Amino acid sequence: MQITGPLALMALGLVMAGPGLAQTSGTTETPPAEAAPEAEAAAADAVPPPTETEPGADVTAEGNHILPNGMDITADYMENGRWYNAEGIPTFKIDDDVVDYAVFSGYRRYHAECHVCHGPDGEGSTYAPALKDSVLKMDYYQFQEIVASGKKEVNAAANQVMPAFATNKNVWCYVDDIYVYLLVRGTDSVARGRPAKKADKSPEFTAQEDACMNG
Amino acid sequence: MKYLLTGAAAAILLYGTALFANESVLTETGKPEQWAIQTGDYANTRYSELDQINKDNVKDLRVAWTFSTGVLRGHEGGPLVIGDVMYVHSPFPNNVFALDLANDGKILWTYKPQQDPEVIAVMCCDTVNRGLAYADGMILLHQADTTLVALDAKSGEVKWSVKTGDPAIGETNTATVLPVKDKVIVGVSGGEYGVRGRVTAYNLADGSEAWKAYSTGPDAEMLVDPENTMVLGKPIGADSSINSWEGDQWKIGGGTTWGWFSYDPELNLMYYGTGNPSTWNPAQRPGDNKWSMTIMARDVDTGMAKWFYQMTPHDEWDFDGVNEMILTDQDFNGTPRKLLTHFDRNGLGYTLDRESGELLVANKYDPAVNWTSGVDMDPASENYGRPAVVAEYSTEQNGEDTNSTGICPAALGSKDQQPAAFSPKTNLFYVPTNHVCMDYEPFRVAYTAGQPYVGATLAMYPAPESHGGMGNFIAWDNVAGEIKWSLPEQFSVWSGALATAGDVVFYGTLEGYLKAVDANTGEELYKFKTPSGIIGNVMTYTSGGKQYIGILSGVGGWAGIGLAAGLTNPNDGLGAVGGYAALSDYTELGGQLTVFELPGDAPAADAASAEPAAEPAAEAAAAEAPAEAEAPAEGEAPASN
Repeated sequence: MQITGPLALMALGLVMAGPGLAQTSGTTETPPAEAAPEAEAAAADAVPPPTETEPGADVTAEGNHILPNGMDITADYMENGRWYNAEGIPTFKIDDDVVDYAVFSGYRRYHAECHVCHGPDGEGSTYAPALKDSVLKMDYYQFQEIVASGKKEVNAAANQVMPAFATNKNVWCYVDDIYVYLLVRGTDSVARGRPAKKADKSPEFTAQEDACMNG
Repeated sequence: MKYLLTGAAAAILLYGTALFANESVLTETGKPEQWAIQTGDYANTRYSELDQINKDNVKDLRVAWTFSTGVLRGHEGGPLVIGDVMYVHSPFPNNVFALDLANDGKILWTYKPQQDPEVIAVMCCDTVNRGLAYADGMILLHQADTTLVALDAKSGEVKWSVKTGDPAIGETNTATVLPVKDKVIVGVSGGEYGVRGRVTAYNLADGSEAWKAYSTGPDAEMLVDPENTMVLGKPIGADSSINSWEGDQWKIGGGTTWGWFSYDPELNLMYYGTGNPSTWNPAQRPGDNKWSMTIMARDVDTGMAKWFYQMTPHDEWDFDGVNEMILTDQDFNGTPRKLLTHFDRNGLGYTLDRESGELLVANKYDPAVNWTSGVDMDPASENYGRPAVVAEYSTEQNGEDTNSTGICPAALGSKDQQPAAFSPKTNLFYVPTNHVCMDYEPFRVAYTAGQPYVGATLAMYPAPESHGGMGNFIAWDNVAGEIKWSLPEQFSVWSGALATAGDVVFYGTLEGYLKAVDANTGEELYKFKTPSGIIGNVMTYTSGGKQYIGILSGVGGWAGIGLAAGLTNPNDGLGAVGGYAALSDYTELGGQLTVFELPGDAPAADAASAEPAAEPAAEAAAAEAPAEAEAPAEGEAPASN
């Protein structure tokens, strides 16, 4: 959901700066069901591997685990207390409304470090974009790069500057947690607000957190 | 009999004694037809003697003209009017426009500072600026990047400029300045970046530094005299700040000064409040964290502290003490006293004796406030002046990594910087308030210079078991410590109020309405929806002998963070979240000044001296307005300046 003009501009900028996945995945022009074969062929061209649910369809729909940017958010394995998909990209795991600990950690850090600009629950504010939507469009590496280096949109219509957080341990030690929390919000996998139930913090998670914060 | 310290009264006093002056500020704020500093007068009453627009005719108010600032961010503060010129400022990049009121608002000059946009990245809560001030023929602008600029009011030419802080370590500015005597006094923002708060006085003549007084640290750097600076009637003692912190935490301990300043020419004292101690995690800063969260009275010539009162020792909720200090001379239980009234973020309305710093009243101005059971008012008690903290809502007692729920008010306070107004006709304060509660979970954070230094996660939501809205506009009796009436609002009221001799009180709402209510009853008399949500402050002036009302629209600021997408209450239980109104359903970004007027021409008495006589035929519509009879006695042609 875009809230404001400049935010819409910024989101557009992100899509255009992206690897093109968003444009080719059919988010803007979903062919109608009874589309002509040529149209289907064209769509097939643009989206190489056909998936069981159409990428770019409502990511909040039951059973869909492909984001508009093409990322499969299915949790595959756990390492150091955090979940990853088959490609090694951080993701989340929710069992019976219980979020994994990294999601909770991300909720907490987001609402300390990010929310004064980007609003509660990743929903955006009057002057900064809704990150719950941004993470569906940009990929993990772009997200990391913007958090590390910041972002600037200064022109006649906008005065938006995001700081670089690479040297801020309160952010950088938790950047993957913030990312998976925003994936949860973007896919509406749990309701807004503080996650009601969370998995315990594992010793591995604690060890890595300590190493990062004290390192 | 009441003893309001209005700018006019102060000016008369000053002319009589010629002791203390910034003559120009006292003179210009003493003219009701002008609005020379953001707060209207040195006493911060936001009261105008103008009464052409009154409770009987305000229903006929209409838009006279508008002006776009060209910037789409939160617009706080308001325009100034000196003579026939209006001065309008914008959020970052802090452009300034001088508009010729005698020539349909033609732009006389524009000032567009070149600021490094990187400063935006270290502004915690939008790029707001609470406006310009006027002194000695100069317009004073304190930019986001902490550059203080003096502009020639006639030409816009830069007369001098000075850097008052360092954005590289998170020091920024959002506040207006206080021009007083031969100085201009400025504060600093950055409580969420570990900035060490202070006020600094610069010489108006050339921008050179006169004195600097920190909120924390050694006595000499705080300009505190251990024997003669008083705290609730007792000497402050040596090393009062250092002894209230663990180790060197005070060096990154906040106590910033981003609120308003008031000044009493008779006592030669300025008043302001200090902000939150850093970090928001109370466990990382044991002690009372003096002198964060403190009302300060200082001699303007030397900066020396006369008295302090710390409202929230060892803050656990981010209840900055920076809100305005309103100076009035009133009867207090039968005795005329020089009072200071302050509506704190912590939800308590304080009344003090501004000469001695004696605490007279500390009562809740929102019934939802629950973190304290009240302030110890017994001078013999060892806890005299301290609020009693309710254990359930103590984020310190509940500890790190524990989520304390249902705390009222939320971190944005029962009221934030949006200033209240006082009418000497009703002896009431008109207060824009928030009606929002929160959950607060503190946790350990590391400090990095120039990076956010917060250390708590927050969830905010409308006060439970109330009217469901997130704000109220109230009338407050500062002697009794009681709410007289309260108007529920759907959103926090984030606009500064204006009270006038016409028995009307004006304020703006986040949906964008300018509202006029009866000063005695609170009855709504008029409203008009401006193009964007209002977080600016209402002002009034006359031009050509006719009264106008001005207000900036442009939603944003703190209010734009939480409310844009709507708030949720996690305590409503699963499935019930997300039900509260989103501001984005009501308004959009904007940046506009809207000026209101009554139909018809200026009342004859004023118009005669200012402009050619009005067409009698045009007067029919205004016939019911008893304007002629109530023309301001001081009515005169606006001075050309």
